[in-house]
Amino acid sequence: MSGISLRNIRKSYPGGPQVLHGISLDIEPGEFIVIVGPSGCGKSTLLRLIAGLEACEEGDIIIGGKRANDLAPQDRDIAMIFQNYALYPHMSVRENIAFGLELRGMKKAERHARAEAVAKTLQLEAYLDRKPGALSGGQRQRVAMGRAMARSSSTFLMDEPLSNLDNALRVAMRTEIKELHRQLGATIIYVTHDQTEALSLADRIAVLKDGHLLQFDTPSAIYDRPANRFVAGFLGTPPMNFLAGDQLPDMPGAAGNIVGLRPEALRASFTREAGASLPAKIVLSEMVGADMILHCETPAGRVTAMAPRRDFTAGQEQVWLGYDAAQALFFEAGTGARI
Amino acid sequence: MKREHPLKLALALAAGLLFLSPALYSIVLSFQTADSYYRGGFDFTLGNYRNAVGFYHFARYLLNSVIVSSLVTLLSIGFSTMAAFAFARFRFRGGDFLFGAVVATLMIPSHISLIPNYLTLAKAGLLDSYAGLVLPAISNGFAAFFLRQYIRGIPKALDEAAYMDGATPLKVLWRVIVPLARPAILSMALYVFITEWNNYIWPLVAIGKEDLYTLQIGLARLYHNNPGEGLIDWPLVMAASTLTLLPVLAGFLLVERHLVRGITMGAVK
Repeated sequence: MSGISLRNIRKSYPGGPQVLHGISLDIEPGEFIVIVGPSGCGKSTLLRLIAGLEACEEGDIIIGGKRANDLAPQDRDIAMIFQNYALYPHMSVRENIAFGLELRGMKKAERHARAEAVAKTLQLEAYLDRKPGALSGGQRQRVAMGRAMARSSSTFLMDEPLSNLDNALRVAMRTEIKELHRQLGATIIYVTHDQTEALSLADRIAVLKDGHLLQFDTPSAIYDRPANRFVAGFLGTPPMNFLAGDQLPDMPGAAGNIVGLRPEALRASFTREAGASLPAKIVLSEMVGADMILHCETPAGRVTAMAPRRDFTAGQEQVWLGYDAAQALFFEAGTGARI
Repeated sequence: MKREHPLKLALALAAGLLFLSPALYSIVLSFQTADSYYRGGFDFTLGNYRNAVGFYHFARYLLNSVIVSSLVTLLSIGFSTMAAFAFARFRFRGGDFLFGAVVATLMIPSHISLIPNYLTLAKAGLLDSYAGLVLPAISNGFAAFFLRQYIRGIPKALDEAAYMDGATPLKVLWRVIVPLARPAILSMALYVFITEWNNYIWPLVAIGKEDLYTLQIGLARLYHNNPGEGLIDWPLVMAASTLTLLPVLAGFLLVERHLVRGITMGAVK
């Protein structure tokens, strides 16, 4: 296992704007790190720099205590799973998994035995002689994982590996990846734009926006104490409500600032309860299993709230949204930084 | 399988026969004696083939053509594939200029380079040798251009996956790109082989020794072997032509099934 340190990484493409603006991260050996951010924020570029598929103009990439900027991808002891899997279409599943071992000079019998062992772990034994074209999306994804696992690398890079799968499969594979991380104990750096994946998989999350690292912390810290308004709004479903502090009654310290309230921090009720609350009119409701998402108009603006479905009576539009100041987050109106 | 309309089928068959008729006619002619050809009858004989191979050394010419065309095909496709891979995948100083230069060579008529090539090889002492026949043909700008375009269509993620697996650029070329570009490489190889097989001008210029004649030179010389004054021995010429045609036909049939197979299916989602 090896830790990875990124020191002030900068990257731009010829004729294009700067993609990464001085990213610094310290990743401990065996950690599961998720890099998350909207499309175009530079997260895949950062992963490719760590892999050695691209070179950075400035900064140091330190892998296992050694500067790796000038090392070729094959010399970094890193395995990578690509978004589109990148399986070799002319090779069978067995050959795909064993290819990396072959390139390292392992004998045929040995590497095939290893490929079969990996395939067994991933429940791919029945498909060993098939070509990737004859596999489903989920099976291809497993083969891509198998190819990375076979080499027993100390670090795995995963570039949105679940983005091509349907929802049910994505949830299942998420659990498998987490389980795999527990078994292998390897360092995993995982890129996604899906905040649910980030929150459920990561030991720590790095949130990127426009090539800047906004926050690098544990999922709960990022969820509970986001560094700024962007991070607060990006992580969490439905996203956090941002309201002008001046418009919220009984909210000390809110004046002049933006108040952030997560939808689950708002209590919807048909009668006004004691404490701070806002009158609201439900304009749209969505059923999400046991809960309802209520989209409401309030004097403070549009607000999203969560309510248990059993408490919600269809047809009633007027509700009260209760809240606690203790559960609110305050952001500077200008910079968006959390106060 | 969908059944075609009988009229369409008949039309296709008629068109096929029409295209084949010159070849079929020459094959039929090649089994006829020169006498019967000029008399207007048909006397079957294998003598034209015996003569072509035995008396007129067509076996030797065939061997020369096979050696020259195979070497040209192997070397030019080898170099073109490597050049195509470099142009398709690597950004290097002067790369665009070099690629432009390669494309520019397509605009130069081959006959313009005839004399410079002749003089160069004469100075190098390579005229009247296999090397003299092969060397000028192994740099093939069209093949490099064609293969570069094909390789650009192969997802780059496959190269990257191979690099991550521990491959060097040459391994990526040999183990990933070449198998995936096989339909294009084989098409181009067939094209190069046929072009070289039918090449007449350069062997005519570069070769004086009969031992090194290729089929096309041998075939042209047959016109001088007349059965009578002012007459050409057409059945003999047709027998020699059939011998010239067959290896190319066999080569095509051998490669044809690879040409149509789409192999990149399932590479990436």
